Amino acid sequence: MATTTATITLSSADLTGDALSLSSTATLTKAGTLTGLSQTTGIGRKTTTSTSQYTLFDGDAYASSAHKVYLKNTSTVATEYFTIEINSEQMGKLYAGDWCFFPWEANADTNDIKITPSVSTSLTLEYALFIGD
Amino acid sequence: MATIKASLTLNSPGVLTSPLSLTVNANLTVDSGSLIRQKVKGTAADSNDLAIYVANQCSDRAYLYIKNLEKELENYVYVHNDTDTGLVAKIGGGEFAFLPLNPDKKHEVYATRVDTMIEYGVFGNDNSANPYGGT
Repeated sequence: MATTTATITLSSADLTGDALSLSSTATLTKAGTLTGLSQTTGIGRKTTTSTSQYTLFDGDAYASSAHKVYLKNTSTVATEYFTIEINSEQMGKLYAGDWCFFPWEANADTNDIKITPSVSTSLTLEYALFIGD
Repeated sequence: MATIKASLTLNSPGVLTSPLSLTVNANLTVDSGSLIRQKVKGTAADSNDLAIYVANQCSDRAYLYIKNLEKELENYVYVHNDTDTGLVAKIGGGEFAFLPLNPDKKHEVYATRVDTMIEYGVFGNDNSANPYGGT
């Protein structure tokens, strides 16, 4: 099975008196096992052209498991954002240049990941889903 | 104002036929935030939950970094807000998440196991009217 790792680094020289520096790595595995993830959507992009809500990942299409989701707003216009929603709850807003990474349990047909662009002009979201089987 | 550089690297030599290697960076402009290591008492969504973010603690936007320090993958940490019924995230032992929060809602954590240790930090623009430590 494939070994997939995710490493996050958070650093800041001016947020606190002592420099903030954190690095953490996780090996991505299937739910409840130490077996590596074997399926992925790969790195993809979705471009939106309206302020309608789009379904990015349909909970009905995936088994209930420990999937991992990566999202990035590729916009360079600071005010443009995607509102991220999971299971009809707003997670938060992903502004231009920002990214997020989180586990996702598709434990119900309605447990979709949806995005709503803030603008009707072209806005592109980069994404990847690592499927926990 | 301060800047936090947030980087994510995803590597996998074998999940695709071509090696996957992705690194993204974001420079977040914030004025507050810190890292905290704490134990989680609650094992269900109730009054024993650990509050990690109070409603409107930050203005405009807030980012959460959270890592479950348990060694067993199946000892989960559950992140939810206090007004909706679903989960924002379910994080296995040894796993982390970095995500934007809805700044208007209080966020809390419970875990599979009592005294699960977590590390977390919320970074954003502080709203002095709703401080994390309370008034």
